[in-house]
Amino acid sequence: MNEQRLDELLDDARRTWPLPPEPDYQAMWARIEREAFAGARPERRTPSWRIFSVGLAAALAMGIGLGRFTRAVESPAVAVAPTIVSDTAVRSSGAYDRVASELLGRTVVLLTALPEGGNVASGERFSMQATELLTSTRLLLDSPAASDARFKDLLEDLELVLAQIAMLQSGRTRQEIDLITDALVERDVVPRIRSAVARLAAGD
Amino acid sequence: MTHAALAAEASTVPDERFLIARAQRGDRDAARSLYDAHSRRVHRLVFRLCGDEEMAQDLVQDTFIRVFDKLSTFRGESAFATWVHRIAVTVALNGLRKERRLKRGADDLDVANELPAPSSNVDPDLRDKLRAAIEALPPGSRASVILHDIEGYTHAEIGEMLGIAEGTSKARLFDARGRLRKALSAYAKEQDR
Repeated sequence: MNEQRLDELLDDARRTWPLPPEPDYQAMWARIEREAFAGARPERRTPSWRIFSVGLAAALAMGIGLGRFTRAVESPAVAVAPTIVSDTAVRSSGAYDRVASELLGRTVVLLTALPEGGNVASGERFSMQATELLTSTRLLLDSPAASDARFKDLLEDLELVLAQIAMLQSGRTRQEIDLITDALVERDVVPRIRSAVARLAAGD
Repeated sequence: MTHAALAAEASTVPDERFLIARAQRGDRDAARSLYDAHSRRVHRLVFRLCGDEEMAQDLVQDTFIRVFDKLSTFRGESAFATWVHRIAVTVALNGLRKERRLKRGADDLDVANELPAPSSNVDPDLRDKLRAAIEALPPGSRASVILHDIEGYTHAEIGEMLGIAEGTSKARLFDARGRLRKALSAYAKEQDR
């Protein structure tokens, strides 16, 4: 048998190879779900070294800034050296709440502007802003601020949405933005952010 | 058009990225959506590789259990469909090597959908002989023929799926086709008489 004849036979096989009967996909899923998810806790990806180092730098900067601010308020006449405050001090000073409020405020601005954008330039701008906000969101997710379950859920939704915006591609900006805004509406994201901002402002 | 291109065209990538991200966080609804989107294609692929309906169902389940177990490692360097199919092929080949229960084409026909075959001038007996010859190949050679000549994957894609070099995939296919020609030569000569 020559190569050409074998090609003809294989071409025929491609068209005539029997299709498998339709299995019970639902029953198959039941086993997959049982074995893949049983007892599994949703996993959070470990931040990469780059995010970790950015987070560390941000935490240090926040500590120094707070130290200066606190000293300046307490004793304005004394010369102040940069001070790194402990995690406990930062938490007790409500620093996380302030960072969270600022993050949520900037995120609302971005998400509100999103449906209006659709050209290449706005896609790139959104992508850059989202990348910055994403880093802060992930840092907050790993901070004591995420100990509140409702706030953590919101941050997790934000992480996903911001990750999508950060990956906006110039050639498909309009289509991708539409998909993201659909997800925003579906998940009620913006009203939940506003509600969280109000709670933070009230000190809840 | 390659399978990678088809997969890219067929799926709404941003939407799938969203589902993948959610599934990576343990969202079962998102995982189910990914399963719904890819299970039929995976089922067809592993059925063709193993030739056994019951085993194909087990392999599909094993594939998706592995997919969701490893999903946190998916970084999007390749299309999600290609990544899933790579796992499916690995699972199928391991299953075949482990169980060694290849079935013949006649058995497959008993359980297969009774769809009318497209018109062809190929002798039905010769068609059956070819299927039997493909199924008698060693698992690796068989995968090369099924993936390249039946499913239409490129050698680069097959290399990625099987963890071998593109050139190795070509060499395997060359070898497998040689075996098929040899297996069918006696029957072809008979027909020519």
